[in-house]
Amino acid sequence: MFWKKRESHERRSEEKQSEDNLVTPSTMESELSMESLKKSLEQIDDAEFLEMNCSNNRIIHLVYIRTLIDQEKLNETIIDPLTNCSKASIQDCLVNSSTISIPVLKEAKSQLFSGCILLVDSSQNLWFAVPLKNPIGRAIETSETETILYGAKDSFTEQIEENITLIRRRLPIQELKTEKFSLGTMSKTNVVLMYIDGVTNPDFVTTIKEKISEINFDLFLDSSQVAAFLEKHQNSIFPQFQQTDRPDVVTYSLGLGKITLLIDNTPFALVAPITFFHLFQSPEDYINRWVVASFLRLMRYVCFILSVTLIPFYVALTTHHYQMIPIQTLLILVDSRSQLPFTPFWEAFIMLIFIEILKEASLRMPTKTGLTLGVIGGIVIGQAAVEAGFASNVLIVMVGISTVASFLIPNYLMTKANPLIQLILLILSSLFGLFGIILGSVAILAHLNSLSSIKQPYFSPVSPFYRKDWNDLFIRGPFFKMLERPEHLKPQKLKRYKTRR
Amino acid sequence: MRLHEKIREGMIFLFVAFWLSGCSPITENNLIEEISPITFLSISKADEGKLKVSTIFPPLSKEDKIVISHEVDLLKEGIQKYNFNFYQEVKSGQMRMLVISEELGQEGIMSIVNTLLTDPDISPRIYLVIMRGNFEEFLESQLDNAENFDYSFYRMLKHYEDRNQGELTVVNLHQFKNLLYTPYSDPFLPIYSIQGDGVNYEGTALFQNDKLVETISSIDDRIFQLINNNHYLAVLPIREFEIVLGHVRSKIDVNIDSSNSTIFFTVSIDSKIEEYRGEKQLFDPQELENLKADIETYLEQQTYEFLKKMQELKVDPLQLGIQTKRPFSKPMEEEEWIDMFEKMYMNVKYNVNIDPLTDANSRRPNF
Repeated sequence: MFWKKRESHERRSEEKQSEDNLVTPSTMESELSMESLKKSLEQIDDAEFLEMNCSNNRIIHLVYIRTLIDQEKLNETIIDPLTNCSKASIQDCLVNSSTISIPVLKEAKSQLFSGCILLVDSSQNLWFAVPLKNPIGRAIETSETETILYGAKDSFTEQIEENITLIRRRLPIQELKTEKFSLGTMSKTNVVLMYIDGVTNPDFVTTIKEKISEINFDLFLDSSQVAAFLEKHQNSIFPQFQQTDRPDVVTYSLGLGKITLLIDNTPFALVAPITFFHLFQSPEDYINRWVVASFLRLMRYVCFILSVTLIPFYVALTTHHYQMIPIQTLLILVDSRSQLPFTPFWEAFIMLIFIEILKEASLRMPTKTGLTLGVIGGIVIGQAAVEAGFASNVLIVMVGISTVASFLIPNYLMTKANPLIQLILLILSSLFGLFGIILGSVAILAHLNSLSSIKQPYFSPVSPFYRKDWNDLFIRGPFFKMLERPEHLKPQKLKRYKTRR
Repeated sequence: MRLHEKIREGMIFLFVAFWLSGCSPITENNLIEEISPITFLSISKADEGKLKVSTIFPPLSKEDKIVISHEVDLLKEGIQKYNFNFYQEVKSGQMRMLVISEELGQEGIMSIVNTLLTDPDISPRIYLVIMRGNFEEFLESQLDNAENFDYSFYRMLKHYEDRNQGELTVVNLHQFKNLLYTPYSDPFLPIYSIQGDGVNYEGTALFQNDKLVETISSIDDRIFQLINNNHYLAVLPIREFEIVLGHVRSKIDVNIDSSNSTIFFTVSIDSKIEEYRGEKQLFDPQELENLKADIETYLEQQTYEFLKKMQELKVDPLQLGIQTKRPFSKPMEEEEWIDMFEKMYMNVKYNVNIDPLTDANSRRPNF
């Protein structure tokens, strides 16, 4: 079957060629001329070629992509000054806008597609690009994924420049560094790495730069896709980068010594290194009074454990350990379970799957339909399931509690991962009872301990142990006790206060 | 990581996980809708040295109930026999009470206690109760009642155990076992009797080793609660002086003299008068003192008689023998102590302190 192999080999070489075309033009086309540019812009409807007669009878060619530039400003900043200008060079005429001189065709095309106007003085064969990006975009709005009542209301947008502005306003210091990278052979997504020089551990910066340089992919439309390429543990359900669209969260993380990646065209920034415990921290923790915030944070941990283990416990007790149920509860349980067709495991499994269907459906539906869905789902899952004899009312109560409890986790990615942990524990509990739950918990803890976020341990400051960081772990200690940056982030500067006055 | 390292880690993980589970890799299937967890067993004497084991079926669900009894040689045999004539498997993991008939108690219940103790399914917190009268017949008569008799009986025992209410004796298997197997102590259990439609708390059954020898009731039982069991009584009615003492708390001081011939038994009581129907003017400090002295004498007399009775029966539920222990000397043998205890002289002293609840200096007439 060697011809097949050969065929595939041929196809591969063709592919390679077209890929080369996409990334670097062939030598034939690299010559900087109007003809070659026109040839490469064939079949692009929104590419415009204009010829302009200037005052001293010079002809200047304008090339731009109509949809990428600000057409109103085109007249104002380029056409008007050029028609009325009598100076010899184009640069002298366009005093109000920056000009970039272009040496090669590749550069010309990349500037063209990043929203520049190419100006060609054909008499002198001079090529310039003037950035005139279309400012179309969303206004700064309130964050919908991380809503809080008090505190700053602004959130990131899809414009990376605006996002940097939002952070820079909060950190007006020269130590805040922004390094720019371009990712994706097709999408050419701008990625900006931010960190505070002198605070952030330089290892983090080198690690992330190395990782970024290794990325080889074509399209990046969201920060989670970038995160997927930066994460070491791809198969884990736990996110190793925090995704946030709140500038205050990013600023606080930067101040503690973390790094941030801003990705163009998505409002979500990536923050790293994070630990498992960061998934339970909400921006509101740093706004509420510390006692209240600590209570709320503890509630989140309790609710996470509750949401993950409540139904497995029900299944374990009703299937294996009837001895452990208090007799009062047992009376109720026996009564509600006596007529059911399913075993506790199948009963719980079906209910959990159904809850997931409801959750997913309510996300996809428009708001108005979502309300109907909620009511119907509530009735079907609650009253009707019990009356029809598919589920016991004790289980319905527990499903309700565990579902509501799972919503307390502030990190949405974690909320989504919750049912998976629950299902694993459910299966283990039905097979081995409480022993299965212990087995599952040990496995989850072992897994968490093996994870890392940009080479930093995921389960610190619990393991490895950093006593001082516990002040902002399960509780949110008072600010006057948090005078040092978290040790587990290994910052270059530990103290958060001035030592000399 | 190399493969053998991964395998080693996996083995350690599994070992720890299995070890954490209490050495039970595969748990029993105990689907609660397929089993019948009995809540109590009633054991009485049958012919030819057999045991009669009865309980109510089904134990928890709200179906029509029946009493099933079996005459068997061994307790476990009885539980197993239930499986032959009931559609659900009988499980003993939710057992809360063991009702033992008085006749069986008199013969000795050591073997029953040992059986229960060795069963890992049965909690050591189950209550042991001695029952006077035919309990099986009583159960039959209770089947039509809406409220489960067994459950209410259990709730009653649990209530008096939890809060130390100072009313009834409540003893669980663990406590009974401790008293049974500890030197210088004899166990005791509550005794109930069947009277008409209900069960009545009679008092406390005293055991010599594992055999029931005496039942104490009324004032003797009250004194027993006060000086040993609860050290607290919610009410202590004394008919002789037409008085009810309430919230009685006691402190006991027991001493044995160096020659081991006399037991000095001093009880200090704090209480208040709850009710008084006698003739004395309680506002008069002198009269109150007289009343106190009367109560002291009365309680001393009753306690003396109670202790005397125990001496005669050679039982020691108060664990007085512990007082013979001295530092740096070998403890006495239990038989030696019992022999000595029989001949000892009892010196009982009561100090009663009464809060009158009203101002004693007031000039108002009494009530």
